[in-house]
Amino acid sequence: MLLVLVCTAVEGLAQICLKQSSRQPVRRVRWIGAGVALFVVEALLYTAALQRLDVSLAYSLGAMSFVAVALGAAWLLGEALPMTRRLGIACIVAGCAVLATGG
Amino acid sequence: MSKETPASSRIGRHVIVVLAIAIGLDTLGQLLWKLAATRLPATLSPDALLHSIARDPLPLLVIGVFLLQLINWLLVLERVDLSYAQPLTALSYVSVCLLSAWLFGERLDVHKGLGVLLVLMGVALVSVDPARSEAP
Repeated sequence: MLLVLVCTAVEGLAQICLKQSSRQPVRRVRWIGAGVALFVVEALLYTAALQRLDVSLAYSLGAMSFVAVALGAAWLLGEALPMTRRLGIACIVAGCAVLATGG
Repeated sequence: MSKETPASSRIGRHVIVVLAIAIGLDTLGQLLWKLAATRLPATLSPDALLHSIARDPLPLLVIGVFLLQLINWLLVLERVDLSYAQPLTALSYVSVCLLSAWLFGERLDVHKGLGVLLVLMGVALVSVDPARSEAP
């Protein structure tokens, strides 16, 4: 389970690199490369986790990546987080927590 | 939310299409990945991994799906905020949950139904306000 949580942090960073690639055309390839490299790291960790957990449980724990991505997007990319977006993300994470504990 | 919707916070039909493709590829990738992971040997030495892929190229198909997903996802990110698009991909939780019950025989009960419902509510809330934080 710890493996899956590490995956979510890596995923957050990877997503921010990818979004950054669409904002900086000059260094586009570099940002995509960084994002993909992080996804590969995540993939290896996640494959190890999937050998031990049901796919629906592992995927549910990965929901924390929604929080990681939203916070990262707000702090590092300066994206606005409208109230509905915050509430929605909270709902999604709660839903995933319910899914995860039900397994 | 009584705020009126400015023109910049409407999203085009093509954004909906690429988001839908993203969710579809996400679902496909997750299910194939689970299938591939269960077929891999328990201990992963590079040698054992190569032999296993030579016998059963499913992991390569998973990589292909993820490459497609990456290209499509970059198209999504060019058009909308990351903190808007990424939560919407939670819809794939619903599809993965239902399909893994069907394909892998994973258990589906009231508890999971409640989780799915909460995720759907969350996605609906996020989709209310697609405001962009930057000029296109």
